[in-house]
Amino acid sequence: MNDAIIWVIAIPLLGSLISIIWSRYASMIAIISNLLALAASIIIVAQVYQYGPVNHALGSWQSGLGISLRADALSSILLLMSMIVISAATFYAGAYFTDPVKRARFWPLWLMLVVALNALLLSGDLFNLYVTLELLGLSAVALTALSDNRAALQAAIRYLSIGLLGSLVFLAGVALIYMGHGTLDLVALSNKVQAEPLSQVAFGLMTAGLLIKSALFPLHFWLPSAHASAPAPVSAALSALVVKVAVYILLRLWVDVFDLVLTPLSAMLLGTLGAIAVIWGSWQALQAQRLKLMAAYSTVAQIGYLFIFLPLIVALPEGPVQDAAFTALLLMALTHGFAKSAFFLSAGVIQQYCGHDRIAELGGTARALPLTTFVIALSGVALIGLPPSGTFLGKWYLISSSFQAGQWWWVPVIAIGSVLATAYVFRILGYAFGPGESVGRVLNRGREEIPALLLALFATLILGLGSFELWDFVAQHSEFLRG
Amino acid sequence: MIELLWSIFDITLVLLLLALAWTTCSTQDVKRAVTLFIAMGLLLAIVWARLKAPDLALAEAVIGAGISGALLLSAIKDYPSNMVSHRSTLIEGIINSLTLVLTILMSWAVWHGLNMSDGVRLSEPVISQLPVSGVSNPVTAVLLNYRAYDTLLELAVVLTAVLTVLTLNEKRVDYEFSSPLLQGMTRWLVPLLVVTSGYLLWVGAHAPGGAFQAGAMLAAAMILLQLAYPSRRQEFNNSLLKILLVIGIFTFLLVGLWMMSLNDDFLAFTPAWAGTLILIIETAATVSIATALTLAYLGGRPRGWEDTNRTSRSIAENGGAG
Amino acid sequence: MISEQLLYSLAGVGLFGIGLRATLLHHMLLLRLLALNVCGAGVFLIFIAIAYGGIEVMADPVPHALVLTGIVVAVSATAMALALGRRLEALNDE
Repeated sequence: MNDAIIWVIAIPLLGSLISIIWSRYASMIAIISNLLALAASIIIVAQVYQYGPVNHALGSWQSGLGISLRADALSSILLLMSMIVISAATFYAGAYFTDPVKRARFWPLWLMLVVALNALLLSGDLFNLYVTLELLGLSAVALTALSDNRAALQAAIRYLSIGLLGSLVFLAGVALIYMGHGTLDLVALSNKVQAEPLSQVAFGLMTAGLLIKSALFPLHFWLPSAHASAPAPVSAALSALVVKVAVYILLRLWVDVFDLVLTPLSAMLLGTLGAIAVIWGSWQALQAQRLKLMAAYSTVAQIGYLFIFLPLIVALPEGPVQDAAFTALLLMALTHGFAKSAFFLSAGVIQQYCGHDRIAELGGTARALPLTTFVIALSGVALIGLPPSGTFLGKWYLISSSFQAGQWWWVPVIAIGSVLATAYVFRILGYAFGPGESVGRVLNRGREEIPALLLALFATLILGLGSFELWDFVAQHSEFLRG
Repeated sequence: MIELLWSIFDITLVLLLLALAWTTCSTQDVKRAVTLFIAMGLLLAIVWARLKAPDLALAEAVIGAGISGALLLSAIKDYPSNMVSHRSTLIEGIINSLTLVLTILMSWAVWHGLNMSDGVRLSEPVISQLPVSGVSNPVTAVLLNYRAYDTLLELAVVLTAVLTVLTLNEKRVDYEFSSPLLQGMTRWLVPLLVVTSGYLLWVGAHAPGGAFQAGAMLAAAMILLQLAYPSRRQEFNNSLLKILLVIGIFTFLLVGLWMMSLNDDFLAFTPAWAGTLILIIETAATVSIATALTLAYLGGRPRGWEDTNRTSRSIAENGGAG
Repeated sequence: MISEQLLYSLAGVGLFGIGLRATLLHHMLLLRLLALNVCGAGVFLIFIAIAYGGIEVMADPVPHALVLTGIVVAVSATAMALALGRRLEALNDE
């Protein structure tokens, strides 16, 4: 069933094309496409689980001549998360966009975003990664600009400029790699690349380009305005998925291709930037006046946590401890993906019914939108890292890995970050449960609120309680961590 | 002797290129920057030809200098000249030194890389598999057979960009000035461009050329028409435009999926049919690219683009007036 | 004499640096776009320089295809950026 890898990319692409022609049925087309793609992603995960990593050389040309698609534990799990979030956001978006003009613009671009995400996660070729990164960037920018107000356009232009710069820097690295090694295939490169000047500079360039795309401090400045001014379902996809896949590529390159090139110093540098991101992002989130801006800064902080894992993974010797750290990183990425998307979808509901998303004026929301407030609380639990959320386990392993690797200094950073997260989550809940008449009447909009609820449940309960299966899955079926 | 002449030629080209790039990037006058940029594009085309990349030379001239140039020139139409655009001196100093360091590092890497490279290139596998690929132009073989998946995604990129351009703005008020000279020239040029575009599409299988160059040339012909006859606004059927935009990727996907059902591998062309299949895909792609680039230049929503199917049909029936 | 590969690769690096510097320095969208395109041209030049093997030998076609893709992506991104800029101006004028 290698076909599932193709279908998960081809179906959204077909859907996008059809929704351009038949814009009146676009939302139905989108829902069907995404559900089918979700089914395909489940099949892929099952296949990896049963048979191990899948390698599919398109066209069966000899290595390097064609492009190959790969799915292993890491990419298939991220693919599954991506499709779940997209499907939930698709249901929500159907209700969010009431203007038929906006809907006609939204759906083709949204499905293109899905194509880009899936193609990126399954890519096994360096230049193909570049093309998928560009498709991802352009569709994300186009979706951000849909809000069609001054803030959104400014944010979109900045996002585009920075994104193009990041892609070009990445491409420069690809050029150098091809110069030295004559191939673009990730599997072939993982055997060829050694520590010498060319690969080192290429490593630096590609890392820099990906850091821009993953919004690691201090290259994060484009993210808050973009994620805050985009339409709510778009913000959910941006925070949960678009920045994550950049981190995924970086991780894949570091561990697979550049494992002999990277130095503990470079990992430590990224870890330090991650630590600063945690504190700076959480602090800014606490200061934010608007719900979506707060969520965007929270994303900056959560990305920081992911990067703190890097120096630990590099420092730990190969074995179960390193595997555990790796899986903890994946767990945190997944949990954040679900939690942040649930948060943004709920913020969208609040914004629609209160007319604004200013935190200080959210009084009475708990009474009026009980389900949505509950979802915010749930995702807040996952953002803070309280048990039984996946983040709790992730942070737990982060702390224990820090001690085991002798890098205890990350622990106070994690502690401060968690305290600040508690503060900003409870700030919202405090206002929401407080007195006030923000909405006026009790609302229960199932179609809009249930997707967010499901996502939040994933983050807080399912991932936390089901993490042991995840541990085994990743440990057994990752292509790397095997020397 | 010949060696020396070549070296002088190369060094001159490189110096000229760097000089053009430097002036393009450091000038503050927008109009001058765009003009220099177009000149640099043309010089790049010469460089590609020098480096034995004729497909690229064609593409750069038509797409990089031609279409990009047209886009940029119509964007600066109403720009105020001479807006200062620099940052504070301290940040400028930091940026200057950082980029200088990066340039030096990359040069060092290139120096090492060229020495250490084991010379393994992909040209041998490309050539050896050429008979099976269905075409004899190696670049076309790479683009539309070995790495066809990349080309598919690239068409998706073009579509995404055009969709955004189409829906973002109102229809742009373009240059309203035209002259009999331009119109007369256009009457000769446009048919020539259309025929050349068809030729490029056909010949791409065994000589430099291909779908992208052909599509861009077709778009250039359409843009020229628009420039020469600005008051004659043709209202196209929006449904037709949408189909034209989409047909490239659609054909590509369908062929790929059909091959998957036959040969159990996406975009794996049966060698016997490969040539024909590639031609079909390229024709559809040319149409889509031409439509996309033309619409991207025209910029803005065509009338009736965002109405439902029913409404757009009725507008087309009533005919468009200027 | 230095080989053509080295000369043109270094030229590509130079273009990349010039474009990068200007991208970071310019405020105005259009000038930044031009600088980004120059930057891209630099990367493309590096690719093609690698592909070049000499006057008699056939050049490596894979980088040619890659750069062709890159040129098309660049023009698409430029068109989109210009449209976004125009829309922002329209909104600012309201």
